[in-house]
Amino acid sequence: MIRVLFLAGALFAIAAWAAETASPSNEATTALVDGQLPDDPARALVQAKCLLCHSVEYVTQQRLTEGQWQKTVEKMRKFGSPATDEEAKAMVAYLARYWTPDLPPLRPVLAKAPEGSVPRK
Amino acid sequence: MTLARRSLLKSSLATAAAATWWLKAPALAEAKGSPGLIRRTERPLNYESVRSTFTTRITPIDRFYLRNHFDIPDVDIAKWRLKIYGLVDKPLSLSLADLERMPQVTVEAVLQCAGNGRGLFSPPVPGVQWRFGAMGNAEWTGVRFKDVLALAAPKQDAAFIQLQGAERPTMSTTPAFIRAIPMAKALHPDTLLALKMNGKPLAHNRGRPLRVVPAGWVGDDWVRSLVDVEVRSDEPTAFYYNPGYRFPVNPGPPGAAIPADQMKPMTKVNVKSLLGSLSDGDRLRPGAHDLVGVAFSGEAGIDRVDLTFDGGKTWTAAKLDGPATPYGFRVFRYRWNPGPGSYQIACRATDTTGASQPDVGVWNPGGYLNNAIDRVRVEVQA
Repeated sequence: MIRVLFLAGALFAIAAWAAETASPSNEATTALVDGQLPDDPARALVQAKCLLCHSVEYVTQQRLTEGQWQKTVEKMRKFGSPATDEEAKAMVAYLARYWTPDLPPLRPVLAKAPEGSVPRK
Repeated sequence: MTLARRSLLKSSLATAAAATWWLKAPALAEAKGSPGLIRRTERPLNYESVRSTFTTRITPIDRFYLRNHFDIPDVDIAKWRLKIYGLVDKPLSLSLADLERMPQVTVEAVLQCAGNGRGLFSPPVPGVQWRFGAMGNAEWTGVRFKDVLALAAPKQDAAFIQLQGAERPTMSTTPAFIRAIPMAKALHPDTLLALKMNGKPLAHNRGRPLRVVPAGWVGDDWVRSLVDVEVRSDEPTAFYYNPGYRFPVNPGPPGAAIPADQMKPMTKVNVKSLLGSLSDGDRLRPGAHDLVGVAFSGEAGIDRVDLTFDGGKTWTAAKLDGPATPYGFRVFRYRWNPGPGSYQIACRATDTTGASQPDVGVWNPGGYLNNAIDRVRVEVQA
């Protein structure tokens, strides 16, 4: 009986711990799936070095491993993104921390055809 | 508060919650989306069609996908010229009026982004995360590329046609979008330099005033706002031709790197089909439902489309609208009479060469040509 109570107590403790830790992480996931850039010293770097040519969804829809982020940032530096070695390292760490392969897809945004997509008249 | 009112309140709260969930559920929002497009990126413009677009042979222009590497160029039609140079006896500079005076032909063909379905590959591949809708079928009208090339009189050793449009990258250090097609494809009578899409002059975002239409081939060669045509004996070394837009000669396991010399340019679109009338998560009443979708294959007509409702144990042929066209969508239809239950509906097209769709798309480092069998899950409730 004591063993059963102990087991139940342990299960309750685990459940309580899971509930506590799960909810902020769910919120964080929701924010990421909604396309937000989490607050972080590297956020300003991404805004300054990536958003010269791309809108932010180009970043926030990717679901990549650290190795893939590394390659992507290197490719973009070759293409002209003005990031130093240190800045690139900080960006890769930031990108790889949040936009991981197991994150659910970015929530789609429905839209009409943008201006210029349909012939006039 | 009475019990009835309380339960009514509860149930209306549940309905409100369900409605909120519905608005937020991607698959359902896509299915019911009247705006017609899903924005993947605002800059550059990358939008894909919603699934419900794919129930007609011709895709309306306002629901047709947009794919760009760079900002859309502002073309001044009065100053715009198509230049043809390189291995030719008579280099040319043609105005829009010059091209409009030449014989015009119309070809119906599917334009599909090489990366359509990239977002469905596992493991994920970097790039625009297209799902189903980076494709569409249109009637393209313009001059035959071979007629234009004939005016320039290519030399004997001409083997490749290099293509570049008016768009330029934001940074001068970013490679320009340069492509090439073999001479044989440029000379094919169905390869056009199109001035019109579905009977209307090309819109600003769609390659105004002229785009390449290599009917049956993947979208990377459909260069927009074409300005430079260089006739060459060899293949260009430009980034977007090599290593860009290449597919493995022999694909490896998912996630595997492939050596650069084992990658080749893509050519024709592979066989594919998509159910347009239903989306993942739809809830239906028992009874008759007309299922409608589209099927296509690069350089072959569609021979059959089969559907399964039991995970592939049995397949049933859908009816095909006719006649088959070599490069366009073929609409398929099936009257389905389900009883209550959960169903996974899958469609599989077979083209006239016997090519069909795989269960799982062939993973490749660029995330290209994903033609996996399309599956949607629906609930039928009385």
